[in-house]
Amino acid sequence: MNASKTPGLIRERQERMAPYLLIAPAVIYYAIFWLFPVLNAISGSFLSAPLKQGGEWTLKNYAAVFTDSMFYRALINTAIIVVVSVSLEFVLAFALALLINKKFRGSSLFLFLAIIPMSLPAVAVGAMWNSGLATNGWLNSALVHLGILGEAEKIPFLAGGQGANILLIILVDAWQVIPFMMIILLSGMQGLKPEMAEAGRVFGGTRWQVLHKITIPMLKQTIVTAMILRIIAAIQIWLIIVMIFGFNRLPVLMEQIVVNVDLYTAETFFRKGMALSVLVALIVSLASVAYLKASGALGAKKEEAS
Amino acid sequence: MTTLTLTNLAKRYSRSVWGVRSMSLDVKDKEFVVFLGPSGCGKTTCMRMIAGLETVTRGRIILKGQDITDLPPKDRGVSMVFQNYAIWPHMNVYDNIAFALRLKNVDRKELNQRVKKVAQMVRIEPLLKRFPGQMSGGQQQRVALARALAVEPRLFLMDEPLSNLDAKLRVSMRTELKTIHQESGATSIFVTHDQSEAMSMADRIVIMKDGEIVQTGTPEEVYFQSANTFVAGFIGTPPANFFPVEWKNGKLEHPRFQLSPPPALHQAIENHGKNRLILGVRPESIQVVREEEALFIAPVLVVEPQGSHQIVAVQVEDEVVKLIMPPACGVQPGELLPLTFDSTRLHLFDEESQLRIPGY
Ligand SMILES: Nc1ncnc2c1ncn2[C@@H]1O[C@H](COP(=O)(O)OP(=O)(O)OP(=O)(O)O)[C@@H](O)[C@H]1O
Ligand SMILES: [Mg+2]
Repeated sequence: MNASKTPGLIRERQERMAPYLLIAPAVIYYAIFWLFPVLNAISGSFLSAPLKQGGEWTLKNYAAVFTDSMFYRALINTAIIVVVSVSLEFVLAFALALLINKKFRGSSLFLFLAIIPMSLPAVAVGAMWNSGLATNGWLNSALVHLGILGEAEKIPFLAGGQGANILLIILVDAWQVIPFMMIILLSGMQGLKPEMAEAGRVFGGTRWQVLHKITIPMLKQTIVTAMILRIIAAIQIWLIIVMIFGFNRLPVLMEQIVVNVDLYTAETFFRKGMALSVLVALIVSLASVAYLKASGALGAKKEEAS
Repeated sequence: MTTLTLTNLAKRYSRSVWGVRSMSLDVKDKEFVVFLGPSGCGKTTCMRMIAGLETVTRGRIILKGQDITDLPPKDRGVSMVFQNYAIWPHMNVYDNIAFALRLKNVDRKELNQRVKKVAQMVRIEPLLKRFPGQMSGGQQQRVALARALAVEPRLFLMDEPLSNLDAKLRVSMRTELKTIHQESGATSIFVTHDQSEAMSMADRIVIMKDGEIVQTGTPEEVYFQSANTFVAGFIGTPPANFFPVEWKNGKLEHPRFQLSPPPALHQAIENHGKNRLILGVRPESIQVVREEEALFIAPVLVVEPQGSHQIVAVQVEDEVVKLIMPPACGVQPGELLPLTFDSTRLHLFDEESQLRIPGY
């Protein structure tokens, strides 16, 4: 009896250990390449200079951030960009995914075309729209050429106010990012059995009701994934903005980090940038957690078990 | 009274792919009709057209006097059990069943009553709070049934609802479905490619092949009066045996035997006026007799015990012929069996058209 029981127990224990052994390399990798830099940045943001050079522990870096009016403008701009662009992108991407999922004639060509913007690096997108949106850029030229605008009516896209600038950025970002979102949503939709929606229609649902009560709830995991990835990415938009408007014209959080860390050479700016990056990291995490909470994804396991 | 009428219904998926070529059919009130046919013959396609999930290429669908050919699914008063059940995993059993009623704004008390009633009918009352992921295949199938029954449909469609169940559950669900049908009185169309399922459940069987109806009739009609060799060779476990024969001097001649048909059949063959025929004989119509009464003698190839009876395969010319014998009769492979046919149960088909010869 005992003899036959012991190997079983050992095997059970081995099985329980297995996951930890399997993730150990990843944990070590993260400890070296992720945790260490993060700790370094956090401690650095509380120092006036490197410890070796006689740096002291201080809150001045944070004080510098919080007394900088650019920081507040950046915060507000980023918030607007995140909320508006992610909602806009989600709605459009969802609609496109539904359309492509219908498998109409030429839908694969359409999918291919839609993916092109996604494959472009941000620098290329920025350069392209920078030259496109200039008053003498290709967009105005094209409009004039097509006879939509007169030579004197060229639109000064880049000379608008803050609101117009944000809108422009949101549109450019949407142009690049919608395909990405659409593909995630499309893959989710293709994982659904068509009978699920068909049953909804047979049992009295209009197309809207089926979408709202069956398709969307069944896509919840996919939607949450897509949204989280986009929210995080949207908080970190900066390169396109700098490519189109240059620094400090449309301040956003990430851009301000770059401004402080790279643009100015003084140690104080570098330290302020570090503080700012810690704050941005905090904001990204908080936003993710808040979204997961709001969408109910964190409580999902409990709900199913009940 | 007629509930459903299909006239020349057809569905073309693409230039050369037809789901259904042409179907005309009347389904009577409270009738239980079974669509039976091999894989790919268009059963699901027809079902989906009736439910409104597939556009119709040609023909009309009339339900209770109303032309529903172009109505959206929700306005048809048709409910359906899908082959893979398609119950919604994010809703519990109660919500699955109540879905259609809620959309119709049925008031809460009545809704509750109706959900309870159908849950009782399919015996899943204790499971109402469960989610589909926590149930067995048989239970999910009952939920799909309950959901379809709850709306009190004008027509009840079932697309191979039993095909995902294990053999034992399948047979017991047959009986249960019949009982539920008798209780609810819903006019039903049931799809299957299992002929014994069809025989045991149907009021009327619609046998399909390549997108067309081959024969419509009661289980007895399709079994004893099979319209062509396809039906005779599809229905029955095992199905009918076929012998190519020639009509000569008032006898059916086969290389191994000569058979004088009974007078009615004789007359029918004469009237038909063709000589090259196919004789169809069902396994239970082949009898083992004493040698002097035998039509022919054939060696046994295989014996397949079935419990209540056994299926014996013998060789006649190059063909394998199957017959049914009582259990434990001690037949061994290699043994020579003297055989004859029950001449009142013969089927004769025209060799060219493969159609049954009329008039007997
Ligand atoms: N969406 C579709 N597009 C193109 N052809 C289809 C489509 N659905 C079915 N077909 C074709 O139509 C024919 C009938 O298919 P259907 O699904 O109705 O057969 P079935 O009788 O239900 O078969 P099974 O018993 O295997 O379920 C088949 O030849 C099939 O290949
Ligand atoms: Mg089918």
